[in-house]
Amino acid sequence: MGAGVCFVASAIRRSSFLKYFFLNLYVILSLCADLLRQFVLRFYGLDSSEYSYAYYYTDCLLTVALFVAVISLASRVFAELNLGKHVRTVAVLLLLGTAGFSYAVVAQSAHRLVTMFAFELSQNLYFVGLVLTYLLWGAVLKLQETRTRVVQMVLSLGLYFSAYAGSFALANLAPKYVFVQYLGPILGCFLPISWSLTLLRHSEDSRLTPARLVAVPR
Amino acid sequence: MSRKLGALALALGILVGAMELKTLVTAHSKGAVIMANGVSPVPVKLPPAN
Repeated sequence: MGAGVCFVASAIRRSSFLKYFFLNLYVILSLCADLLRQFVLRFYGLDSSEYSYAYYYTDCLLTVALFVAVISLASRVFAELNLGKHVRTVAVLLLLGTAGFSYAVVAQSAHRLVTMFAFELSQNLYFVGLVLTYLLWGAVLKLQETRTRVVQMVLSLGLYFSAYAGSFALANLAPKYVFVQYLGPILGCFLPISWSLTLLRHSEDSRLTPARLVAVPR
Repeated sequence: MSRKLGALALALGILVGAMELKTLVTAHSKGAVIMANGVSPVPVKLPPAN
């Protein structure tokens, strides 16, 4: 939770709150969701239905916010090619497509339809975000993006998604080990910490130095 | 028109790729779920009552 506060504080201090509004929005929503979850957890307990509902509904909201954050970074990367409008069109189509697909999966079940839809949408949108982030990585490499902040934020997102996929694999391969269940909460701190470090260490004008040309003797 | 179709094709491609990836990853899962948000512990109960 402290990492999230640190990110928002550093964004305000560096006058970058509005420049990275959707990243800040995701972190703020994440803070609110954590507070709500802790409140419900304290009153009802880990194995209660109330905590399950609070957790999965807030997770759905956060996954949508994270998706929007990825799209905002994609808009920045493609802005110089004047493709910002098309990025937004693709994002809306993706969101509608994912929602439609999720509904089609859970439509058979009349029981707890809304909860199952929220759960399915959250899971599906996570994988869409994962694929989008890797595509964004590819675009950053291909377009030779040099803005340090954008590059590091996209790299952090890629690492974050990859680490979660890794922890999911570990949870399936070695469910008996206790440390596996703590991996998720530990990884939850990674994104705000890495974004905070990016904002604090680099200014908006920082550029990555391109690799030096190798002199080839004739 | 072609750009709109291109955007639609790209969105569909990403969606299909993501769902393929999800199928691959969750095919051998033992009930674990991917929850990538926040530091709170994952609940014991799963909401989907399949």
